[in-house]
Amino acid sequence: MPKTSNSYLRAVADGLCDWGVEAFVYVPSSHAAPVIRDLEARGVRAVLANREEEAVGIAGGMRLTGVRAAIVMQDNGFGNALTALATFTVAYHIGLPVVANSRGGVGEYNSMIQAISGAVPRLLEALGIPVHELSHRDPVDTWRSTTSAAATLATIQHRPVVTLFDALDPAIAGAK
Amino acid sequence: MKRLEALERIEAVTRAWALVVTCGATAREMATVSRSERHLPLLDSMGLTCAVGLGVALGTTSHVGVVDGDGSLLMGFSILPTLATTRPANLTVVVLDNHQHASADGMASQAAQLDLAAACAGFGFAVDEVADGPALARALEKAVEAREFRIVLARIEPGNAEGVPLLLEDPAVLASRFAAALEASA
Repeated sequence: MPKTSNSYLRAVADGLCDWGVEAFVYVPSSHAAPVIRDLEARGVRAVLANREEEAVGIAGGMRLTGVRAAIVMQDNGFGNALTALATFTVAYHIGLPVVANSRGGVGEYNSMIQAISGAVPRLLEALGIPVHELSHRDPVDTWRSTTSAAATLATIQHRPVVTLFDALDPAIAGAK
Repeated sequence: MKRLEALERIEAVTRAWALVVTCGATAREMATVSRSERHLPLLDSMGLTCAVGLGVALGTTSHVGVVDGDGSLLMGFSILPTLATTRPANLTVVVLDNHQHASADGMASQAAQLDLAAACAGFGFAVDEVADGPALARALEKAVEAREFRIVLARIEPGNAEGVPLLLEDPAVLASRFAAALEASA
């Protein structure tokens, strides 16, 4: 059964729409799925990629044409995406918003995923890629405004900017 | 056909196209053929050429070409199903197949043990296999006339051209010029 959305996940989609998202490239993730389906339902053009570095190439290429394109993915895929993010979007100054659900925190049910997800913010910061994290401590309005503002930041700084949202935290997963 | 001749043929036919060019010696040799602002050489993003070209093609009505190598295509092979499900009619992928990673000390790629044309055809792509300059030019002209996504597999000789300088331009400048050229052609 498809995961149901909630006010926090809708706020992520709202934030991307506030930025004016016209297209997004996604790599399937069960916890980002409500955001992906929400954007599709709103008529935002969706492109399915098989790997995260592929998503970086496609969305980055779209950004070069002026299309407001973003990536929606899960944070464990940043291990795949790092070289593409660094050698393409960072080096070529491409303002690409990346929105990813984070794993490995409270509410996690998988034994190994924290091994990569726990390191993701530091890995991205080591590349000079700004990271904004959304958690249960942030009100739903902040999920929306931060997602939008981070995408705007990517646009004006001509660099990738990542927004991580913790959808597994029971305080978020149980929200309406 | 040497790679340099293939690139000269490509540039001669694609002067109205945006071209995304794979990294290493291919990008450097293309820069000796033309320093067009319509070219986006990927200086260090091995395996990403088709993905970037696809993104550009999805965002523009201009015709877009990808100049990839067999090694780079095999490194990013997951793009083929994505190309198969998106199939932009304004995109042509040229794979310069020398059966090696010529920019990685000439180490063999797996292309010699594979049938790349059959693999591409298996995704439902229209594929043209060429082995000389005139045939390459004809395949590119056909790609525009056909108004469909096509792949051109061009067999080239192993190795790199001698004496080609490194391509040390700022990638941010390359991207900015490329984006401006795309906007001007829209």
